[in-house]
Amino acid sequence: MANNGRKAETVTLTIDGQEVTVPRGTSLLHAAESIGTEVPHYCYHPGLSAPAQCRICLVEVEGAPKLQPSCVTMAADGQVVHTDSPAAKRMRQGVLEFYLVNHPLDCPICDMSGECKLQDYVFDEGREQGRGREPKRVFGRDDFGGDVLYYGDRCVMCTRCVRFMDEVARDSRLTVVERGSRAVIDTFFDRGLDGAAFAGNVVDICPVGALVSKDFLHKARAWDLDHTPSICPNCSHGCNIELHTRDNLVQRLKPRENQEVNGHWMCDYGRANYEWLNRPGRLEAPAVGRGSDRRAADWREALELLFARLQAAEGDVALVGSATCSNEALAGLAALGEEVPGGAAGRVFRSPRAPDEVPLPGFPLLVRRRDLVPNSDGAGLLGFERAGNDDGQGGLEDVAEHGGVVIVLGDELADQGEDFGANASLFVYLGTFDSAAARNADFVLPITTFAEEEGTFVNAQGRVQRFQQGLRPPESARPAWLVLGALVAAFRGEKTPDSAPEAFARLAAAHPAFEGLTWEAVGDGGAALVAEAAHG
Amino acid sequence: MAISVKVMRRPEAGRTSYMRATLKGMSLTFRHMVRPTKVTLEYPEEQPELSPRWRGTHRMEVHADGRPKCVACGLCPTVCPANCIRLVGGEDDQGNRYPIVYEIDEFRCIFCGMCQEVCPVEAIHVGQHFENAEYGRDRFVYDLDRLMEQDHPTTLLWDPSDPRSE
Repeated sequence: MANNGRKAETVTLTIDGQEVTVPRGTSLLHAAESIGTEVPHYCYHPGLSAPAQCRICLVEVEGAPKLQPSCVTMAADGQVVHTDSPAAKRMRQGVLEFYLVNHPLDCPICDMSGECKLQDYVFDEGREQGRGREPKRVFGRDDFGGDVLYYGDRCVMCTRCVRFMDEVARDSRLTVVERGSRAVIDTFFDRGLDGAAFAGNVVDICPVGALVSKDFLHKARAWDLDHTPSICPNCSHGCNIELHTRDNLVQRLKPRENQEVNGHWMCDYGRANYEWLNRPGRLEAPAVGRGSDRRAADWREALELLFARLQAAEGDVALVGSATCSNEALAGLAALGEEVPGGAAGRVFRSPRAPDEVPLPGFPLLVRRRDLVPNSDGAGLLGFERAGNDDGQGGLEDVAEHGGVVIVLGDELADQGEDFGANASLFVYLGTFDSAAARNADFVLPITTFAEEEGTFVNAQGRVQRFQQGLRPPESARPAWLVLGALVAAFRGEKTPDSAPEAFARLAAAHPAFEGLTWEAVGDGGAALVAEAAHG
Repeated sequence: MAISVKVMRRPEAGRTSYMRATLKGMSLTFRHMVRPTKVTLEYPEEQPELSPRWRGTHRMEVHADGRPKCVACGLCPTVCPANCIRLVGGEDDQGNRYPIVYEIDEFRCIFCGMCQEVCPVEAIHVGQHFENAEYGRDRFVYDLDRLMEQDHPTTLLWDPSDPRSE
């Protein structure tokens, strides 16, 4: 808000008897939030405009003739605000009763149950018994296209979805049709949400169960899900997300607010691609030996054998990294390449790449990037070069026939033939899945996916972001930073890194691009790399 | 407070007669012979009358067309203190939410009846039933079909004439 210099930067007001000082231009709703008072609201969303039409955030401001909508009333000096006065409470009860006039109260079969704002507010302050005697109007449900289903009966007409499509996606595909009790949200004729790249966000911002995800429909109850802060693995923008898991399976991805990266939003492509984290048939135990000589081994034996083989290895080392692996894992791989006597021959990674970027017009920071992997920028910073085509295939011809040591991390080698690494004096495969191309591997070591470990990615903005462990890994799979860190530590005669923060500290010490960053500084919100190092 | 010990003085053997006690016991025996009070039942020919609040193995109510009444809302697995209910929800061909998998492990169940109490559509019930013997342990995980087949009377969790147990 404009500040003409004569007015103070902050204002002091009283909310529910508590004095609070907020910057000028703060709404009463945010001012109340800053002292821990939640004023109920539906139509207001911090990422959208505030039309003040849901009427549930009305609060009493002393001196004002009527109750004021707190989402658009700005805090002013000396204001005395009551969010919980009898007048405000009575009004909220009345508004809630109106919302329930046509609401079907089908909470038992509603996907939003447990995270629904109507449920919460009515439970807090609503009437115990309904007074309506007239039949409720029935709309049934409507397929909006894309991943979105609309249950008109549950809708509270907050129009967050309409405003999201208008203001943020800038692709007006939803509107309110009819008026009064017949009002519903609808698409324009047969042009639904199909093909809209960010339409899935309307499900997140819907405060009730009116807009639900087809993919998540009836899959799990909200209260059964564990929420883990993570980073979207499906493009190099690295939107901050939450993994919602149940029974050790990812059930859905939801955006997590970070104004520096993705605001409140994420794209539908990222949202939909999580099933690969639940794929069964993982590598479960370390194995040593080529082809028919392969046998299972425990980690200690496998690592001791591998260390001995690496010390005696002939020829230089070809490293294949993966841009779905964390910085810690890639740094461990790079360090191992330097320690092996033959020295490094080359470091490559492969990644699928989309033909174009998909920006979100109303929030320009958020772009679905071309690189459809989370850590291509981190891999680049750690000295890996991108190889292969835009499908993430090819480019490994030299490595396949390399005569020295070959170490493959994370890459599934699905496009490679059975003779991959046949000439290698030592071929080590650290992966999540077995692959035909790993037939010649002397060591097959099971590692965890990003959802099963802690670590960091570097996104396309040059920002280091942390993800946390949301899933339990299979039996004997270990994080790649631990496996590689143990080998590097054996070469250097130091202690094995015992945690991801420790692995990150060693990475930051070894690579100038990460200089000065600490695990704590990266935190939940991420931290920018030194600009020139990131894009130099 | 100190612990007080009371020393029982038993009559010494040979200085007391047990005749009186024997006669007292025999008189009770003869009284039962003349005027018997029967407490045993000729089970299984005779069946015991169960309390209306008896909580036995579960049963799932069904609609007239044979579909289970359950809407897979997930409240019973949530409330279950023994964690014995497994539920996977889904959508049937008419667009109704229904349980694809509904299993109760009757061995883990503690028969508290909270599943019945919490059910918003009065689908799952505990029953007035106690004859649960099976030939194998695996038969004690009741699946949806089994729960729907059960036809014993369901439990009244409270007495309708005295809902607050006053």
